[in-house]
Amino acid sequence: MLPLTFSLLAQTPSTLEVNGQITDGASPIPGATVLIKGEQRGTVSDFNGRYSIAAKPNDTLVISYIGYATVEESVNNRTTINVVMKEDATTLREVVINAGYYSVKDRERTGSISRTTAEEIENQPVNNPLATMQGRMAGVDISETSGVPGSGFNIRIRGQNSIIAGNAPLYIIDGVPFDSQTMGYSDTSGAIIPGSNISPLNAINPSAIESIEVLKDADATAIYGSRGANGVVLITTKRGKEGKTRFNIQSATGIAHIAHRLKLLNTEQYLEMRREAFVNDGIEEYPFNAYDVNGTWDQNRYTDWQKELLGGQANLKQLQASISGGNKNTRFYLSGLYQNETTVFPGGFNYDRITTNSNISHKSSNDKFEVALNLGYTLEDNKLPNIDLSFTVPKLAPNAPALFDEEGNLNWENSSWTNPLSQLEAKYNSSSQNLFSSLAMGYQLNPELQVKITAGYGTSHLKDNNAFPHTMFNPAWGMNSSSSMIIFQENDKTSWIAEPQLHWSKKWKNNSLNLIVGSTFQKQTFDRYGLIGIGFPTDRFMHNLSAATTIIVTNENKIEYTTQSFFARLNYNLNDRLFFNLTGRRDGSSRFGPENKYGNFGAFGAAWLFSEELNFHWLDFGKLRSSFGITGNDQIGDYQYLHNFVINDDSYDDYIGLLPARLFNPNFKWEENKKWEVAVDLGFFQNKLSTTLAYYINRSSNQLIQNPLPGTTGFTGIQANLDALVENSGWEFEFSANIFRNNKFKWSTDINISIPKNKLLKFPGLENTTYNNLYVIGQSLSIVKLYELEGVNPETGLFEFVDYNNDGMITAVEDRQYIADFSPKFFGGLNNKLEYKNLSLNLFFQFMKRMGHNEYHLTNPVGTLSNQPVGVMDRWQAPGDQATMQRFTSGADPEAITAYTRFTQSSGAISDASFIRLKTLALNYLLYLNDHTTCKLSIQGQNLLTITSFKGSDPEQFNGYMPPLRRITLGMEIIF
Amino acid sequence: MKTINIQNLIHFITVIAFAILVSSFLLSCDDFLEPDDPFGQIPFQEIFEDEATATAAITTLYAKLRDDVFLTGNSSGLSVQMGLYADELDFYGMPWEPNFEIYQHLINATHSTVQTTWNKAYNLIYMANAAIEGLQGANAINENLKNQLQGEALFVRAFTHFNLMNLYGDIPYITTTNYMVNKNVSRLPQSQVFENILTDLIETKTLLEDNYIGPERTRANKPVISALMARILLYQGNWQEAEAESNSVINNTALYSLENQLENEFLVNSRSAILQFKPKNFGENTHEASTFIFGSVPPPYLALTNSLVNSFEENDLRKTQWITELSDGNQSWYHANKYKANTNTGMSVEYSIVIRLAELYLIRAEARAKQNNLSGALQDINTIRNRAGLNNTTATSQTEILQAILNERKWELFTEQGHRWFDIKRFEVAGQILAPIKPAWRETNILFPIPEADILLNPNLLPQNPGY
Repeated sequence: MLPLTFSLLAQTPSTLEVNGQITDGASPIPGATVLIKGEQRGTVSDFNGRYSIAAKPNDTLVISYIGYATVEESVNNRTTINVVMKEDATTLREVVINAGYYSVKDRERTGSISRTTAEEIENQPVNNPLATMQGRMAGVDISETSGVPGSGFNIRIRGQNSIIAGNAPLYIIDGVPFDSQTMGYSDTSGAIIPGSNISPLNAINPSAIESIEVLKDADATAIYGSRGANGVVLITTKRGKEGKTRFNIQSATGIAHIAHRLKLLNTEQYLEMRREAFVNDGIEEYPFNAYDVNGTWDQNRYTDWQKELLGGQANLKQLQASISGGNKNTRFYLSGLYQNETTVFPGGFNYDRITTNSNISHKSSNDKFEVALNLGYTLEDNKLPNIDLSFTVPKLAPNAPALFDEEGNLNWENSSWTNPLSQLEAKYNSSSQNLFSSLAMGYQLNPELQVKITAGYGTSHLKDNNAFPHTMFNPAWGMNSSSSMIIFQENDKTSWIAEPQLHWSKKWKNNSLNLIVGSTFQKQTFDRYGLIGIGFPTDRFMHNLSAATTIIVTNENKIEYTTQSFFARLNYNLNDRLFFNLTGRRDGSSRFGPENKYGNFGAFGAAWLFSEELNFHWLDFGKLRSSFGITGNDQIGDYQYLHNFVINDDSYDDYIGLLPARLFNPNFKWEENKKWEVAVDLGFFQNKLSTTLAYYINRSSNQLIQNPLPGTTGFTGIQANLDALVENSGWEFEFSANIFRNNKFKWSTDINISIPKNKLLKFPGLENTTYNNLYVIGQSLSIVKLYELEGVNPETGLFEFVDYNNDGMITAVEDRQYIADFSPKFFGGLNNKLEYKNLSLNLFFQFMKRMGHNEYHLTNPVGTLSNQPVGVMDRWQAPGDQATMQRFTSGADPEAITAYTRFTQSSGAISDASFIRLKTLALNYLLYLNDHTTCKLSIQGQNLLTITSFKGSDPEQFNGYMPPLRRITLGMEIIF
Repeated sequence: MKTINIQNLIHFITVIAFAILVSSFLLSCDDFLEPDDPFGQIPFQEIFEDEATATAAITTLYAKLRDDVFLTGNSSGLSVQMGLYADELDFYGMPWEPNFEIYQHLINATHSTVQTTWNKAYNLIYMANAAIEGLQGANAINENLKNQLQGEALFVRAFTHFNLMNLYGDIPYITTTNYMVNKNVSRLPQSQVFENILTDLIETKTLLEDNYIGPERTRANKPVISALMARILLYQGNWQEAEAESNSVINNTALYSLENQLENEFLVNSRSAILQFKPKNFGENTHEASTFIFGSVPPPYLALTNSLVNSFEENDLRKTQWITELSDGNQSWYHANKYKANTNTGMSVEYSIVIRLAELYLIRAEARAKQNNLSGALQDINTIRNRAGLNNTTATSQTEILQAILNERKWELFTEQGHRWFDIKRFEVAGQILAPIKPAWRETNILFPIPEADILLNPNLLPQNPGY
């Protein structure tokens, strides 16, 4: 109460210090705006809903907050005014949505934009902003490529548009494009990070994000022209708010582990399989290298290798703090995060991250000039094994020897196996630094016209290495540090952008017009080089290249990419009922030859608020909107149009290697993506229910593809636009409801469902090309062509397949005609938010229906020295047996090997991979320590529960990499 | 009033500044979208205006042959693949490797080796043609160097077509980089391909020097072309000219003579060597040594067939010095040990040999025998036999002598560039030798099929070789 006493003493007869708390009747409302009516002055309520403001006795306070009806209270000489606000969902439509170059009120928008905000993001104990979006937005399909920290995500917004060129969306952070192309390189990170796809977005701390908007249709994306085809992801970081300075300190700790293990054979079953395999092959005396059965290895030994090598628990720790505040003119936000997490692998592997974000904005007192600066800086340090053991572990024989001998050294069991821990001797290390900054300045020349410039500068640096000390090899080979090797890779990326713009708007009585014109200049350079050092006096010097006997430069590269564009938007609002939005962009890109550097893109969108005409009492809001337009895609790599020779390491006779880079084609141009959408947005019963239903058709043409050529040309193809057509169409459904609420209890729910369909409509000459093995007209681009399993022949005991061309043989191309479509049939999410007094519970389920590779896909031929899923025991043993698994072979039966190899590429190796997953569970408890201090305790879980019939480790990621981890954290946050 | 003026001034300055900013970008806009040359890349036109890069464009052709195409000693070269296809090598690798199907004669028009061999060869031919075209317009480099480089490019183009023809039969002969032409080419009859190859090589002779450039035998000179022509003329059946070309090399005693000690045959600068490949890095040795030598049994990948090992006559030094036996106590396996250095050495000790003098003696023997110069033939055979510690051959009739030559080639040239396969094909005994040991043998296996993907893209390549 000290501040109150103090302010009472300080008051002058004409001014009161008014205090109070703003609640919704049950819980406080933080962030509500309190203004003095008729003045510019105001403040914002703190986390406890408390505010204080100096007012004259006869002033009126105006209290407003999004989603609640605005309240006016006369001061009337009171010094304490507590306000209870009533929810009014119509104001939800007043939410201002970021659309990139402009922002738009939700009720007026003509385009298709999905959104997630800090409230949802903060409930998830994850590292990458993409993880926070999984399942939460209609039309946005995101999957994690691996559970190893630092790995990337696959993201498709409304499906795969391009057959070969990139399908990544454009990312814009605080107004500046963020290059999401990984800098990872297979030489160093290829074996541990899937596709070396080290996600650059790991540099962004999810807790520093205020909102993420995803632009999906032509209306929203065409202003991004050549880069809008695959959608646009806009990330806005947190800003300071007017009012007293707030401090926020948060600490969390937790664990992560692999949630589900494969069910594999135990020693007894395994040895039964092996012995039977030799019997089947007619081999009576076990060969010398059948260590598991010939007595070399202890046959009573059993190790659950998944538990031993992947069953560890990763520890998660994080500490973050932020300070924010500001006054009417200047606001700031500063935050910092330190995070450390270990891995599930044995050994001291860990991932460290430090990120800082800062934001400062200022508005001149005459409101004409404004400036905002955002700065983000991130340091990451990732220490991992060189290889993801997830591939090898399920294949280790269950009676394989102990990891360590009696003296605690790696056990090689007389050279009879490769100790899997030896793989962990080879270590991957990466360190990266990432800076991104943006500056926006605007000046209001007159009430209609504003000049604005946004500029950005970003640089990122990734340095990684892979060390292979000789100790990872069997000592029997007699290697020493002269064969130790280290691979270094260093990458640098720098980019800047400048976008001068003019914003003009004019309001008349019944209508208004908004116009934006602007241009973009962007340049990005990317440098990369790699070295290998071989042979060191001792392994201790391995990270010191100058100690290497041999140093080889493996690659060196520098790439420039520039774009120059002009864009415009014209928006017309008639009577607040009809909205028209016209956008266009002329884009120039250095990726194309002299004749094709420029392309034109544009879209038209319209919306009609029909509820205004109808006046149904149960329908609060009804909007019909539609858009059509053309966007493009230039994700084809740089310099593809040049006739160049490249330097490579094919050196000879002391000369470097020089190879023709490609068959050159100076004439190729953009991929074009035409998008059409129609949607209806509805709100019922005081907007307690609101829903959006959208249907879209996108067609991508001018596909940039290696047009196949016969080998006699010296190459197998030439980069050119092919008249192929890919269609993505689909339904998207979003629904949210306030199911129940009273003073103590609230329950709200959100559902989104997407039903996408991807289809290759046209591909001239498909049957004459090798693409014939990958694609089929009328099918999705995510198909695989497989052998069709007929089952096990009861006579021979071998797998048999459908002979599609009836030539009596099973052949690789002709008989791989079974089509399995891995694209999702539908997917979505269900979010439930329950609040009881100070306790809130967030339950988010993600679901998806699709097919995937099952547990057999990556197995070795059954019966060989390699463990198998338990399902193999239902095998053929004698003529006449009906079995699901073919006869075992030790490896000596080529027919059985061939049949099994085909099986792994057949309809038998795929299964339904649909799932419903409890993606997020967050339980938060708010503790009001005193008037100004709040403590939030939370338990958060990610990937807690998965309901699936899938046979395999994880239905989200079935390519053999480490599945996404189950994460549970305990957190405490203090706000004052 | 004063404040208004200042505001107007600010307006004015802002608009001007903005206009300058925008227009300055617009003026430079053409340059803005022209990036610098990509690092590590050189525009085609500039390559052949500089002696170092022009030479590098040619040496890269050798590097490709050494590491990737036909002549390489690794598992994708003729030595391994045609050794497996014939009766020289047994396969112990994984059954899903393409070489297993080569070994079993289970190949078809979509087989990966059939496709990649074809593609890699024509890619190399494209590179040679690009160099030839680039050099034609090159004015800034020394005329002698230009001739040397052009000659080497023609040599690679001819040699590569020769190997392609030996595998695939009638093939297109590619002499331009223009893909609009090359995507519709037709196959030429082998007789015509022979003519084109020889025309290229005759031109090459006019371009190259008699001596090697540099101290090693790692770049083509005139005798290299003669040696290759001798081989090609022999395959063509032009006995007289084959003999003449062999003579020119064998008589060049200033450069060449048979190494008396077999263990010196494959060393760097062996006097038997006519063309050797220099390894990529200092201290490296040959792909052959790392591919053929194994240290544990059963062999991990390849071993010599027992039939080859057992075929040697007693006391043949080539068996004792060029073959190594490994045993597990019960059973023995053998590997070629011509190249012995399978690890790096301080200085490279062995270079992979493309053509060596012993082959020239055997070419001349065969050419002489065919021309009924039996004594001349015997003399050449015995030169080779005597060096291997064997007595003179007992063959007397022309048929016996030719058989002796076939055997001698087997013992002398085993696991070198698929000689054995091309010999049994040329002597028309492939069926007789392979039918008993390769269950999938058919007479049509004498040629590889034309890759199916190419036929689909270019129907001018039809008809497919018989049997596929």
